[in-house]
Amino acid sequence: MDYLVAVLLPQLLHGLVFGAALGLLALGLTVIFGLLGVMNFAHGELYMLGAYAGITVVGVTHSFWAALLVGPLAVGAIGALTEVTTLRPLYRREPLYGLILTFGLALVFREGARQIWGGDMRRIVPPFTGSTPLLGMTYPNYRLFLLAASSVLLLAIWLFFTQTRAGILVRAAVQDAEMLDGLGVNVPRVFTLTFAGSAALAALAGLLLAPVFTVYPQMGVEMILLAFIVVILGGMGSMGGSVVAAFVIGLAQSLLTLWMNPQRVAIAIFAIMIVVLIVRPRGFFGREGVLE
Amino acid sequence: MSRAFSWRAVLVWALLAALPALPFMSKFYLLLAFDALLFGTIAMALDLLMGYTGLVSFGHAAFFGLGAYASAALLERGILSFWACLLFALLVVGLYALVVSFFSTARRGIYFALLTLIFAEVVYTFFRYTQTFGGSDGIQGVAAPRLVGDFAIDTPLRNYYLVLVYLGLAYLACRVLVTSHFGRVLVAIRENEDRARFLGYNVQRYKMAVCMISALLTGVGGALYPGRSAFATPDLMLWTVSGEFIIMVMIGGLGTLAGPVVGGAFFVLLQEKVSSYVDWYFIVIGLVLIFIVLFMPKGLLGIRELLGGRRWRTTA
Repeated sequence: MDYLVAVLLPQLLHGLVFGAALGLLALGLTVIFGLLGVMNFAHGELYMLGAYAGITVVGVTHSFWAALLVGPLAVGAIGALTEVTTLRPLYRREPLYGLILTFGLALVFREGARQIWGGDMRRIVPPFTGSTPLLGMTYPNYRLFLLAASSVLLLAIWLFFTQTRAGILVRAAVQDAEMLDGLGVNVPRVFTLTFAGSAALAALAGLLLAPVFTVYPQMGVEMILLAFIVVILGGMGSMGGSVVAAFVIGLAQSLLTLWMNPQRVAIAIFAIMIVVLIVRPRGFFGREGVLE
Repeated sequence: MSRAFSWRAVLVWALLAALPALPFMSKFYLLLAFDALLFGTIAMALDLLMGYTGLVSFGHAAFFGLGAYASAALLERGILSFWACLLFALLVVGLYALVVSFFSTARRGIYFALLTLIFAEVVYTFFRYTQTFGGSDGIQGVAAPRLVGDFAIDTPLRNYYLVLVYLGLAYLACRVLVTSHFGRVLVAIRENEDRARFLGYNVQRYKMAVCMISALLTGVGGALYPGRSAFATPDLMLWTVSGEFIIMVMIGGLGTLAGPVVGGAFFVLLQEKVSSYVDWYFIVIGLVLIFIVLFMPKGLLGIRELLGGRRWRTTA
């Protein structure tokens, strides 16, 4: 019982917190994949830029909440600009070129961040400290806020995609962009705005996780691999699948650390991934045959 | 055989062999030339997969790194024979590549790319955290390998000629391969995999074979590396290094063999030149890559076509 409360429960909560944030990151990745057929290698860098934008805004305004508003907007704008200037000319080309292009973008963003903010490890001070008694243990307030905020966001995104006209247009574009174009919808604009939205989500994830993790230019490199794994596990292009898979990976990672050292955990997660790719490449909820 | 042979390639190779005779070729430039040719050869090996078969591998850094580790591990233990290092590297890389290619080639497109990437990450994580192989420091300060008897490959000049011989042999092997029937089946798989299958070809066996060949060529390149640098570190097999190999192929031009050699050399020289002026050379390299994807998808060799020159011999 003591073991349950003192060890298992906090780890379980850690997993949920991390899974929720990972879900935000993976959701943007999977929507872009469904829309453009491109695995966005620069997504991890947008996540990193979100954290750094937060550091700058907090430095100027001393308010975490201002950063939470301005950071994602700024990174969303960068995303829109990037989409229009570099990805748009590639619409009709092979997705392979898009993949390689985003690798180039990632290099530019990563080195750009190192030039602007330096290569040191940095941190954002959480907006509130202290902890709350919960089920016989105490849990940091900020992590509880993180879990609540991510869950609310995930819910809001779900409502956006099912209840609003804009959300339905995006889903229609994922299904059949050509048909949507034929119906008179400005499809390139849908693409650009979706890319901006996905960039803003990645930035938000980076910013929300910044007080828990450390901020450094390479932070996206490790995160993007995990996000890729989540997207594949959930099924390429399946939004619900990504969220489920994010929680699965988040929980698996935090629970496995109880019994293994971190590098074994990393290898175990890679192994899960390899098995999924070989046995069931469409993941939990993906459509069969997508880019197989 | 005649289609594989080209006087132009022989001429270029001879010019490269004469390169150290130039007065300004210091030890520093010789080592730079070594890197240029080594990574050029690796990019060429990757081109067999990317350009000819249409499979993008994001895991070639693992083949390279494993080759380097295999060779460095023997040198560290006092086994100084170059040939022993080479054989051991072939064995290690071959076994690993057998597993990777068996599972990865069952999938196409993005799934192939991600499978190779994740397999490589497993290898990276293993070496990064295994103290037997030095953990994150890797294997440092190994002795130079001996070619025959006491003849050690311990000077930049000897290293340069070694990699030049390797480039020559690898290029010849690749050309023979892509102009053969085997090579044409690869192109058929790239163009339309289902049709190749319906024609009766065992597509997966072909894909596995080319994957193995590409991996082994890359592994041999890795085995040459500790002789030049005296180390093997886990950073050599980070997935971003695999990304750099892809950049080299793209810069040079997909499906041309000679292009990626130029691309690899260009990448190494660009990195060296730019980094001697500014420390943000990754921005420059990223921008070059973006420019090439957007405006010259055929790479540097594509320029010849733009200038109205004779079409470079591309895929068979």
